[in-house]
Amino acid sequence: MDLFTIVSLILITIMIIAAIIAAEIKDLLSAAIASGVMSLVVSILFYMLQAPDVAITEAAIGAALSMAVMIFGIKSTKRWEK
Amino acid sequence: MKRVLALTLAILLFIVFAMAFAKIPFGEKMSNYPDYYNPIENQTSNMSLPQHYLTYGKNDTGATNMVTAVVVDYRGFDTLGEVTVLFLASTGVGSLMYVEDKVKRKVRRSNAVVETGSKLLFGFIILFGAYIFIHGHLTPGGGFPGGAVIASSFLLLYLAYPKFHAEHKKLNVSESLAGLTFVIVGLLGLIIAGYFLYNFLPFGLPTYLFSAGVIPVIYVAIGVKVGSELTGIVDAMMGVRE
Amino acid sequence: MSDIILLILQIIGYIFISIGTFFLLLASIGLLRMPDVYNRMQTATKATTLGSLSVLIGVGLIDLWWLPKSLIIAAFIVLTAPIGASALARASYKHGVKLWEGSVVDKYKEEKEED
Repeated sequence: MDLFTIVSLILITIMIIAAIIAAEIKDLLSAAIASGVMSLVVSILFYMLQAPDVAITEAAIGAALSMAVMIFGIKSTKRWEK
Repeated sequence: MKRVLALTLAILLFIVFAMAFAKIPFGEKMSNYPDYYNPIENQTSNMSLPQHYLTYGKNDTGATNMVTAVVVDYRGFDTLGEVTVLFLASTGVGSLMYVEDKVKRKVRRSNAVVETGSKLLFGFIILFGAYIFIHGHLTPGGGFPGGAVIASSFLLLYLAYPKFHAEHKKLNVSESLAGLTFVIVGLLGLIIAGYFLYNFLPFGLPTYLFSAGVIPVIYVAIGVKVGSELTGIVDAMMGVRE
Repeated sequence: MSDIILLILQIIGYIFISIGTFFLLLASIGLLRMPDVYNRMQTATKATTLGSLSVLIGVGLIDLWWLPKSLIIAAFIVLTAPIGASALARASYKHGVKLWEGSVVDKYKEEKEED
């Protein structure tokens, strides 16, 4: 196993854990933050797979804008999932 | 009985369609098509589609970033559709969320550190976004990431200053002008050479800023358009807060 | 002659990277062991800023071609990390997170009482 494989395995593990947290947790604010973490890790993975165009887009839209829009939505509705 | 009949019919149809589509080659192989570039020397080319783009893309479009060459030049019409989809999404969010009187918003002053810092960083982030979409045909990036970065700089201002809101008229004007530029460039290509979005400007030297014909013009237009649309979405979402 | 200077610069760069990784390690240990939010915030911002600055400068010294870029990144870290930290700390104070019982001073409360 070379360094690339090890690092990408670690990143994929973090990504899967963040995705499961975002889907399962009852606190919607934490879910939004977990989905932002997932987008950030995905953008690092895109960069490692030599797709910098997609990585920039994913980092700007997934980690910053869509998380902000989700948090605004949570602010105007309810924070806890029933 | 009716349901069973319908199900069997659907399965039969699916099998027929699957067998029909199995005969058609998708994507990879080009070997049966005549070689467009040197038709006399070798009649057929053995290149796959990605290889073809990587080999001929620089001569075809003048852009060094092949992703941009595909997005704006080879598949430019699809990009026009994508930008329209984004416009539709922005319009939907605005029509659902926009509230007229901003006075209702409960104003809570943020930290002095945050205010000064965001005022300081705002210009740099705008500069970075503009760099991304102006150099879209040379380095990784382009109109969509650059527009998103510009919108995130406005998001920073929205978070730091609760009273701040972008003027909708200016957003409207910049968004419409950018879309108009895109369509007019395409129509000029149609008038000059007979193809929509034809690359009619001189290519120049590759790897220089003024190269690749109309690609930088279109990408700047896309950047401004995406930036103003996403800023509009953020503004509409902030407007709900009380 | 220039080779020797480059070698010395590389050695200095590796020393900088070692110092930076040491501070990053201290920051992660502090993040686990500190008692309350504000103390953890301190390790997570001060030590991390110093560590990453040192690593960036070290990388720039090892390959001088990267020095301008790494200095720009360092400037942005210096600008953004304290802003984020102060916003987070202020938000948690406003949200009502209690201080650790061993805390000595609460400047924010004093300033509010003066107003």
